[in-house]
Amino acid sequence: MNGLALEFVDVVQRFRVIRERPDTLRELFSGLHRGSNRTTYHVFEAVKHVSFQIPHGATVGIIGRNGSGKSTILKIIAGVYKPSSGQVHVFGSIAPLIELGAGFHHELTGRENILINGLLLGLSKRQVRDLEQQIIDFAEIGEFIDAPVKQYSSGMYMRVAFAVATAVDPDILLVDEILAVGDAGFRAKCFERIASFHERGKTIILVSHDSSQIREFCDRVLLLHNGELIADSPPDEALARYDELIGQSQQQKVPAIPER
Amino acid sequence: MSEFCADLYRYRELIWALALKELRVRYKRSVLGFLWALLNPLLMMIILTLVFGTIMRFSIDHYAIFLLSMLLPWTFFSQSLAYGVESVVGNAQLLKKVQVAKLVFPVAAVLANIINFLLSLLPLALLIVLLRFPLHWTWIYLPVPMLGLILFTLGTCFLFATANVFFRDVSHIVQIILSAWFYVSPIIYSLDFIPQKYRFYFRLNPMLYVLNGFRLSIYYGLLPSVQSVVMSLACGIGALVIGFGLFRHYQDSFVYYV
Repeated sequence: MNGLALEFVDVVQRFRVIRERPDTLRELFSGLHRGSNRTTYHVFEAVKHVSFQIPHGATVGIIGRNGSGKSTILKIIAGVYKPSSGQVHVFGSIAPLIELGAGFHHELTGRENILINGLLLGLSKRQVRDLEQQIIDFAEIGEFIDAPVKQYSSGMYMRVAFAVATAVDPDILLVDEILAVGDAGFRAKCFERIASFHERGKTIILVSHDSSQIREFCDRVLLLHNGELIADSPPDEALARYDELIGQSQQQKVPAIPER
Repeated sequence: MSEFCADLYRYRELIWALALKELRVRYKRSVLGFLWALLNPLLMMIILTLVFGTIMRFSIDHYAIFLLSMLLPWTFFSQSLAYGVESVVGNAQLLKKVQVAKLVFPVAAVLANIINFLLSLLPLALLIVLLRFPLHWTWIYLPVPMLGLILFTLGTCFLFATANVFFRDVSHIVQIILSAWFYVSPIIYSLDFIPQKYRFYFRLNPMLYVLNGFRLSIYYGLLPSVQSVVMSLACGIGALVIGFGLFRHYQDSFVYYV
């Protein structure tokens, strides 16, 4: 293994943005009828020619305004999206902490969901069974573990989901703004766990709007703007550019207030 | 095809867990729980036996057994398809968030119904004994037509699940296709009832070959000919090759359409 955990080479991700619901046969037939030059979608480039390299053991923050392509990049890393062009190389196993609890079924108990979620994240059944107690302890939900998930409070739900996702022990951890989980005590525990990943030389990629989080954890920051990578630098520089960007957009907005 | 088998083996634990989840959710919050998997077919069979044994008499001996020998595998097929067609779209939330082998969803839908189907054979055997109908030794041959049926069902599920991602109409059309398919397959009747000149068209229906072995071994107590076995497996493998091929070709773009 070389020293790289992750490499993006000129990655482009395009989406079709649909104007109307096209997913019916009528759409197909009307398209055929009128000729194929009438499109009901336009192509949107969410990520534009982005290249970067991340070495093993780095903690890298990704910042940018809403819709700048941060989450899309995380999903490309996680393998959810295959990029439209360019190359992505991932060296090592990945655990996504992207929108926790996606695989949870409300009728099933916490324990049953832990198994399914663990298997979805690539663990074997035995590994999940071995980790189960640790997950339950970390999530601090006690006997609720055998109650259906629909009876959980949102905090309990998130705690279980976080505990499963981080129990996987990946080489690369993807964190997408989920650290607003639970009360202050639990949040501190989550940060502690992420910090321990860092200490053990794991690679962490963190998407956040919280500049203090970014300063505390990251040794490097990627700043995205409209799908382009406009800064790849130490946190302070990138955060300064980010503040500039936000400032600019607010200045632009000022004249938009109608005069009386 | 070897890729299909490799994935099946690789994700066996996940597929099994998802199938059990499907069944758990189906019977959750009912007092009798899993017992319904036995009770439901038993009650249905009793009704059919009463209707066809006493009220509407056919010229076929033990018509209820004649019917059930094909109705049960058909029910497996139609229920698998009803679940399978939604299996990819229904897991949209998951597909959009984690990388997961997409084939596990249709396969798990079929597996859940295989379990149901196997359970429904128990009340059938019970009913056969109660009606003093011979429980033929040819039952032991059932795994062979079952293999053909399962392959055929998997292939069909892959096909419809893929189509449903791009055109949601498919999940509505499936119900219509299934009811038409039911009547053109010799389930409630025998192929002998069809006038000779139309029989050729009925023979174009792969379901005929896929279901044939069930009636032969349960009702007639006969082993099917080699040709019939070959046809049933050929239909199964053919459906799977087409269905899975299509599924595999489009699976990377599912995430943009679900």
